Amino acid sequence: MEVDRVDGRTPNQLRPLACSRNVLNRAHGSASWCQGDTKVLAAVYGPKAGTKRNENPEKACIEVIWKPKTGQSGKTEREYEMILKRTLQSICILTLNPNTTTSVIIQVVNDDGALLPCAINAACAALVDAGIPLKHLAVAICCCLAESGYVILDPSKLEEQKMKAFVYLVFPNSVLSALPEGHLKVQGEPMEHGIITSVTQGAMPVDDYLHCLERGRAATAKMSAFLRKSLQPKLPTE
Amino acid sequence: MAGQAGGTPSTYSPSPTTRKTKSLILRNDDVDWVRTDGREFHQCRPAFFKTGAVNAAAGSAYAEFGNTKVIVSVFGPRESKKAMMYSDIGRLNCNVSYTTFATSVRGQGSDHKEFSSMLHKALEGAIILESFPKTTVDVFALVLESGGSDLPVVISCASLALADAGIMMYDLVASVSVSCLGKNLVIDPVLEEESYQDGSLMLTCMPSRYEVTQLTITGEWSTPKINEGMQICLDACAKLATIMRECLKGPDSALEE
Amino acid sequence: MGLPDSSGGFLSELDVDAFRRLFPLQFYESHLVKSKRPDGRSLAKARETSSALGAVASADGSALVKIGSTTMLAAIKMEVMTPSKESPDEGCIAIEFYMPPICSPIVRPGRPADTAPVVSKQLSDTILSSGMINLKELSLISGKAAWMAYLDIYCLDADGALFDAALLSAVAAFSHLQIPVVSMNDEGKVVVVSEENEGGKEPVNKEKRKLTLCSIPFSLTCILYKNYILADPTAEEESIMETLVTVVLDSSGQLVSLYKPGGPVLAYTSAIQDCVALTRQRVRELQTILDEATAGMEVD
Repeated sequence: MEVDRVDGRTPNQLRPLACSRNVLNRAHGSASWCQGDTKVLAAVYGPKAGTKRNENPEKACIEVIWKPKTGQSGKTEREYEMILKRTLQSICILTLNPNTTTSVIIQVVNDDGALLPCAINAACAALVDAGIPLKHLAVAICCCLAESGYVILDPSKLEEQKMKAFVYLVFPNSVLSALPEGHLKVQGEPMEHGIITSVTQGAMPVDDYLHCLERGRAATAKMSAFLRKSLQPKLPTE
Repeated sequence: MAGQAGGTPSTYSPSPTTRKTKSLILRNDDVDWVRTDGREFHQCRPAFFKTGAVNAAAGSAYAEFGNTKVIVSVFGPRESKKAMMYSDIGRLNCNVSYTTFATSVRGQGSDHKEFSSMLHKALEGAIILESFPKTTVDVFALVLESGGSDLPVVISCASLALADAGIMMYDLVASVSVSCLGKNLVIDPVLEEESYQDGSLMLTCMPSRYEVTQLTITGEWSTPKINEGMQICLDACAKLATIMRECLKGPDSALEE
Repeated sequence: MGLPDSSGGFLSELDVDAFRRLFPLQFYESHLVKSKRPDGRSLAKARETSSALGAVASADGSALVKIGSTTMLAAIKMEVMTPSKESPDEGCIAIEFYMPPICSPIVRPGRPADTAPVVSKQLSDTILSSGMINLKELSLISGKAAWMAYLDIYCLDADGALFDAALLSAVAAFSHLQIPVVSMNDEGKVVVVSEENEGGKEPVNKEKRKLTLCSIPFSLTCILYKNYILADPTAEEESIMETLVTVVLDSSGQLVSLYKPGGPVLAYTSAIQDCVALTRQRVRELQTILDEATAGMEVD
């Protein structure tokens, strides 16, 4: 039943996380996010005056540009851009800056598995750094399903190649609320259990997907604590 | 992911070896050869039109002449591009493109620049541009399958789509082409006949007004031949226009009459 | 909301079409509380779906699919390639999805819709990971020649649920595919064997004219809005209520893809299970539609 992981991790164990903000001088906001050897740099420019193409008198617009580590961007990058754009749109408060465009540029520094979740986390931290109004944060995680139905979290590139299916999940971060407990529950589930984004690859039984959901949810609590911690120290100084 | 090995390998179409010998019959200067689809020289393919093929468009039409199948959508009149200068009359914007599977060998499915500008010229004279100042009407055509005489079919179909969109016109525009093969004039040529033609003549007209909006002649033609060709086309256009008109009236109105 | 019911004022005099344009959300909500949609469908009902095989004469396999007014034309052209060294007895599939300017007022020539490459990618991921096609069946001569199946899907009319219609047309085109009979000529090139010219070379693939399709994927897109789930949205619904969930199940009930790209509404487990259940029903519907289309072909 047990699957041995190359780096000796337990199935639920994430790789060490690292996040640094304000790494680029000229961007309005930036962040680099590492999960083990996967590293992504995100820069945010804006809100700038709405360009012709993205003009919308009622809502702010977000554009995402994905720069691969090498080579030109192809269909995969376009798909990532679309997923990232839709995900970020749903956490930003778009009605505050109508008719503006905010550009998010994602530069892949190193890909060692779980690239898309890593980029989503980086983009989220960069948006906070740029001071873009957000409803809440988002945390992304990659769950992998082995042939035997065994689930591991946050795979490295080597592990990804051996797996039959992946599930990329994005959840809202867990909320520390002054309101009494249970206030933010929707249909008996806490808000952070709702899926913002789900992308899967490979066929799997439906029950395995639901199993991945549970495991993903459990892991994101830890990640959102880390995200909160790495974003907090800067607040008083600004 | 196994199907997407890095980069696309070069491929070729396994075309049949017995192609050339078959169609060379056409080259004989004898008068009594038979057209591949059994038509007479001055007989058009059966034409089929249908309006309202695309719901998302303001007006649209589908046309099928033998194997030639096209769809035309009309959008607008809508806001012109931002860079455009003010204009008292409306603008017409045309685009013709092909699907990748339109021809027997898989193509790139790109825009056809030449046909786009020819379509523009053929329609421009028939549309009352004064009726929609400052705005643009977009006419987009997609050739689903190419079976010869593509442009004339696109033009006729486009005028039907414009009528469906309620754009004001002086008259419907009908278009027919003839190919010159040796001594013979062949109307509404199929792809194979077009590839062996010595010259081609395409005529676009407004049949009710008896006015020509476009006439293109390519290849080798003698003056009497041109006259003959034009007359054949004008007659065919008049007949085509009645079919188009029937299509616009729709099955309901046909019953009433 | 209360807006549609407020008596007096200009709202009561507002024409229905104007109200629909000015207050689209209120308009939809006034329908949703009655469990109806403006086009008369119930929330969980998909639009009328039809599929016709063999629509393109110049292709080896083709299909025209309509879901409501969303129309897709898919065609497969078979070409020959030299297989790669890593997989000498496997063919290849290249899937491309096009949104030509005719399909929607949003697309203009020279400025392609940004959803088109994303749908292409999703389609090829779905078809390859469902294992519907055994790539080994596309092999002709191990290590020397294999089929490259170019599947091109054109959207002729875009009215929502593009991925669902595109996937159905892709599956239908594959079920219609007739692989041409070919032989290898003296120069090592693969040529089509025509009927009057049979002498000489032995055809390489006489028995392999059709692909066996196992575990066919079918999909359903749903909108999540508040607690409502709307199956098979139109373009108007997609633009007003932005949270979309696309579930792909194969004929054996496996989950091939669950795609929810963002959106203002969060999906909880119960909503996911409801979407999957709706998709299960839809898979059965689509399977029947496809079976009827193929049965119709065999009679001819």
